[in-house]
Amino acid sequence: MSSLLIERPLPHGGRLVERVIEDKRVARKIWKSCNAVYEIKPTLHYETGVPVRNVYREIMSICYGFFSPVEGSMKQAEVERVLKERRLLNEWIFPYPLIFDISKDDLNKLGVEVGDRLGLTLKGKPFAILDIEEIYEIDPEELAYKTFGDPETNPEVVQQKFDKKHPGWVIYRSHQPYVLAGKYTIINPPKLKPPFDRFWFPPRKSREEFEKRGWRTVINHQTRNVPHVGHEFLMKCAAFTGDVEPCHGILVNAVIGVKRRGDYPDEAIVEAHEAVNKYGYIKPERHLVSIVLWDMRYGNPLESLLHGIIRQNMGCTHHMFGRDHAAVGEYYDKFATQILWTKGIPSFGFPAPPTDVPYGLKIRPQNMREFSYCPTCKEMAYSETCGHKREKLSGSFLRGMVAEGVQPPSIIMRPEVYKVVVKWWKHFGYPFCNEKYVINKEKELEVDLEDL
Amino acid sequence: MAYFMVVLLDDSRMEKIKGTGLEEHIKYMFGGELRLLEVEVNEDLKNKILAEFETARVDSRGAITDVPVAFMRELFNQVVEKKSLGPEVVEGVLAKVGEIKEMAAKESEYLPPPEIEV
Ligand SMILES: [Zn+2]
Repeated sequence: MSSLLIERPLPHGGRLVERVIEDKRVARKIWKSCNAVYEIKPTLHYETGVPVRNVYREIMSICYGFFSPVEGSMKQAEVERVLKERRLLNEWIFPYPLIFDISKDDLNKLGVEVGDRLGLTLKGKPFAILDIEEIYEIDPEELAYKTFGDPETNPEVVQQKFDKKHPGWVIYRSHQPYVLAGKYTIINPPKLKPPFDRFWFPPRKSREEFEKRGWRTVINHQTRNVPHVGHEFLMKCAAFTGDVEPCHGILVNAVIGVKRRGDYPDEAIVEAHEAVNKYGYIKPERHLVSIVLWDMRYGNPLESLLHGIIRQNMGCTHHMFGRDHAAVGEYYDKFATQILWTKGIPSFGFPAPPTDVPYGLKIRPQNMREFSYCPTCKEMAYSETCGHKREKLSGSFLRGMVAEGVQPPSIIMRPEVYKVVVKWWKHFGYPFCNEKYVINKEKELEVDLEDL
Repeated sequence: MAYFMVVLLDDSRMEKIKGTGLEEHIKYMFGGELRLLEVEVNEDLKNKILAEFETARVDSRGAITDVPVAFMRELFNQVVEKKSLGPEVVEGVLAKVGEIKEMAAKESEYLPPPEIEV
């Protein structure tokens, strides 16, 4: 065997966290042992009241191991360490505080204390438990600022003070002021609704799937968008990295969570990516579409760190990062993510890249620029290779074309991908997420639960 | 910086601009697969558009995007009516700003999907 071969990395933290009880008899016993029961509510925007987050998505991603080695809602000392050094108390790197927050009213009503077991219901059905190890108070505004950094503390990459125009800042700002810390366990696994069910590959299952397909090397493509041909070329060409041969697999991992107006609906995003392999633009033997439940925090380099953790846990060897990765506005340097993965960001606790610090990551970054159409080469060309003037394709230009009902040419968007967009357009009466979609989605969620 | 707005031309729109003398200004993108016209926008009009429509933005090429679909439809109508690609086209659109905003409000609820088989 060549010494150059790259092996599938272990999960972050060394082993997969799996905190899901499938046996209903066991689950019922555990449920009976709860001291109190609390119905999970969406986090509402602190000013407008629109839903901005649902903690159920964090519980799912933690208990199914996407966020290994995190096992629950973080204790105060852990939150402080994450904010200061982006490390958990067990030393492993992690970018964001993850907590179970409730209002003072709810805390009083529940009457729970440390050592109690809180039963959590979702859509009125038993869902999970939280074994309370600590109860503490936070200042949501301070938490919001500290989570993302600021120009004084993080001059390497933060260009602008965060404010309420940043959706991730709003999520933390809208947290309730009391935190119940402790481990979560899912005792009644929710069923993903179609079309999401067929894209549900939690880390254990995705690793098994890679094994079955003979994928030793897999590169991840992060998405929250319907793929245009530029994305398709990015996937195809980034996969030429690898070791002695190009990556065996391309994993598309779509972040499913609270939406912003103007985004494409999640249903269209996953099925449009599936159309890329279904219609042979990338062979299905080499391409797999999957999802992770998470309300994006848009923390650019910090978000990229979380993405690296999720995809390493899923079994990927490589991760594509583009310009403005998971970014909104101009809060961070356009290349903040690529700076993190090539040089590190000392003020965030990374004097070296996250792959080169103790208790860091094993997944390899593949930093990419963009593809656009070159009329001279007569093909989709890479910005750093082609020396001609290219026709740049902005997302807003494409959205405008779609909204006007003009079918994009197949060199921009594959006809089968466009058909998926129109299919869901007919379903929702709208091609993008509007207010109605956003509110309904947070009411219905992506899952249904059975009785226990 | 010079600003502009893009008017996309599908087959039905191509019919409507026949004989307006604008055919010679048609631009082709993406290997000839996309036909379009570019309407000139001056600084003053750009500012007016941005002030009237909060979603509107200017992209890196100087193109004004993300205005309501009703705006884009009227933009095409004005091109045909004025047989021009000059600033008077956007002036014509902005003269109907109230009407456009009314339609735009409904647009955030519903947009008719294209009649294609899915
Ligand atoms: Zn070229």
